Amino acid sequence: MAHVIWNGESRDVQPGTRLSQVLPRGAVETPCAGAGRCGKCRVRVQGQVSPPSPEEQAHLTREELAQGIRLACRTLVMGDCRVDLPGARGGDQIRTGGSMPDFPLAPAFRRWGAAVDIGTTTLAARLYGPDGRLAAEAGAPNPQASWGADVISRIGAALQGEGAALAASVRAGAAALLEEMAEKAGVPVEQIDAAVVTGNTAMLYLLTETCPDALSHAPFQADRLFGEETAAGRLGLPCRDAAVYLPPCMSAFVGADITTALLASGICNSPGTRMMADIGTNGEIALWAEGHLRCCSTAAGPAFEGAGISMGMPGKDGAIDHVSLQGGKLCAHVLGDAPPAGICGSGIVDALACLLETGDLDETGFLEDEEALLLPPVRLTQKDIRMVQLAKSAVCAGMRTLLHTAGIPMDQVEELAIAGGFGSYLDAGNAGRIGLIPPELAPRVRVLGNAALSGASMLLLNRDFRPAAQALAAQAETVDLTSSEEFLAAYTEGMFF
Amino acid sequence: MSILNDISENLQRGKAKVVKELVQQAIDEGIPVQQILNEGLLSGMDVIGEKFKNNEVFVPEVLVAARAMNMGAALLKPLMAEAGVKAAGKVCIGTVKGDLHDIGKNLVKMMMEGKGLEVVDLGTDVDPDTYVKTAVEQGCQIICCSALLTTTMGVMADVVKKADEAGIHDKVKIMIGGAPVTQSFCDQIGADKYTADAASAADAAVAICQAAACA
Repeated sequence: MAHVIWNGESRDVQPGTRLSQVLPRGAVETPCAGAGRCGKCRVRVQGQVSPPSPEEQAHLTREELAQGIRLACRTLVMGDCRVDLPGARGGDQIRTGGSMPDFPLAPAFRRWGAAVDIGTTTLAARLYGPDGRLAAEAGAPNPQASWGADVISRIGAALQGEGAALAASVRAGAAALLEEMAEKAGVPVEQIDAAVVTGNTAMLYLLTETCPDALSHAPFQADRLFGEETAAGRLGLPCRDAAVYLPPCMSAFVGADITTALLASGICNSPGTRMMADIGTNGEIALWAEGHLRCCSTAAGPAFEGAGISMGMPGKDGAIDHVSLQGGKLCAHVLGDAPPAGICGSGIVDALACLLETGDLDETGFLEDEEALLLPPVRLTQKDIRMVQLAKSAVCAGMRTLLHTAGIPMDQVEELAIAGGFGSYLDAGNAGRIGLIPPELAPRVRVLGNAALSGASMLLLNRDFRPAAQALAAQAETVDLTSSEEFLAAYTEGMFF
Repeated sequence: MSILNDISENLQRGKAKVVKELVQQAIDEGIPVQQILNEGLLSGMDVIGEKFKNNEVFVPEVLVAARAMNMGAALLKPLMAEAGVKAAGKVCIGTVKGDLHDIGKNLVKMMMEGKGLEVVDLGTDVDPDTYVKTAVEQGCQIICCSALLTTTMGVMADVVKKADEAGIHDKVKIMIGGAPVTQSFCDQIGADKYTADAASAADAAVAICQAAACA
């Protein structure tokens, strides 16, 4: 047996065990699910371990390897060793707030009610009191992240027998939020007698431990779309007898979170032409025109979540979240009271817009110098820029294709409502400048905050919204981008700036 | 020769119409087709491929350059058949069953054509049997598989298995690629070559075809 020690804890394992499997789940970040692709699971190791793999040699410099820095997912324990984990992580910035239209109360709960949004990256929740007043809010990272940052990695894990563990993980995460909010409000958690839990299609599959095989390969036909009520006890929530409503999904890629976000956005209440976008690893886009709803999902990749970018990180302490030009010089803002450690999505968008302005970045995406130093030690490499080009073009091309399919010219769009955490911190002008959204729409952007959670709150606070949500999801037409010539053309062209 | 140089330069800038005109002019001047192909079109794609590998140019530049190359190559094709000029090798390529991503696969195809290889494009959502059947029927030296999803990359192992079962794996090499694919995965499933980007894939394919020709 090999003895592994980390941060005062230890464990005996068989030689040949992967280091990431020795450490407690969540001890290191593994957005690529431990495939050796992202380089985010760095640890310092002393002792008997396998020689550096090709993946580690690609991700780590010679100096880092000499210091014993390794990727936990690629390192095998060969004998006794000691591991230094990276320091405690700073507080995450999770959006629990968001705007809602005015509406009359007709609550689904008698005493206390909870709305929960199961995001791929973060969980967010609100607790409402007997009079419909907001009593508490809570947020936390989605604990499923250790199975990979993206939905597909987790679906893959579920199909390989991890389904129960994935369900238990997110249920524990949601339960902890409910406990935390109940404590803040000073009520026993059992007093919660109704809840609405929204999320994308895959998140609801994993929460309910539904086999996600249908979501894992073409033709991606979801065999369960929810829009149903279940008992909290069946989802492992502490308020066992509460009735939990799972709002309806539209398709495999456009989930209940979009249904609820649309409800909160109010775009489907107007006779005009309006759009809504939720930009994350997947960009979901909805177009409301002439009483008809069209939706699509576009694979933006994790660049705006910080993964796949050499110094990318989530929007938490130490992340550059905004960049501006002052007197022709780059000026970066860092979140929290921490030294600059990396850059998050909103910072990346700003940085590219500024670099285009200064001429350090040309319209093809070529960096004049090999890398752009933003605020030491944070920099963007040429490869980072290429990742962003793929991501931003996928989102923008999705919007253009949706409009093209509906035969609606850009100037007819009255509003672009942007939902989601990343969208909340986004500078709309810069998003237009780099072509993440069509530049014409930048002045028409309305930021919604966590609209998925707001919509779930509406379903909780007024039962009568449920038929409307069901009808909306049922009538939505899903536009398939993979087979669209228009999308391919817009995607290729949109990679330039 | 300056006209071949012009072809290469214009191809790199994606000027399809000019490339087509220049290729016709070169043919009319009696320059051997093989020379027009190698020193004009392919040398231009070589430059683009190298720049792509170094992140100096990106997907759009490759696409427009490839379009220009195809316009020029279309004029040369009938003449090459007449002159008995053979491709450097033959490859079939496709995105595996259950996966619909085709942009990366198309880039690899273009880069391989840019190296003078003949490429049979099987499209997306390709059944493992189809790769093997195509390789046998069309005499391909290489099967290239692309997958962009962790849930579909497992199909690549089935392709290797089918090639083993058909008894062609000693003659036909299997190359794999796509965002979630790694060298470790390649080793694990017994595929022959993994490359991280389209330009390296084309280089590797040429090397494999050359080795096969010498064997």
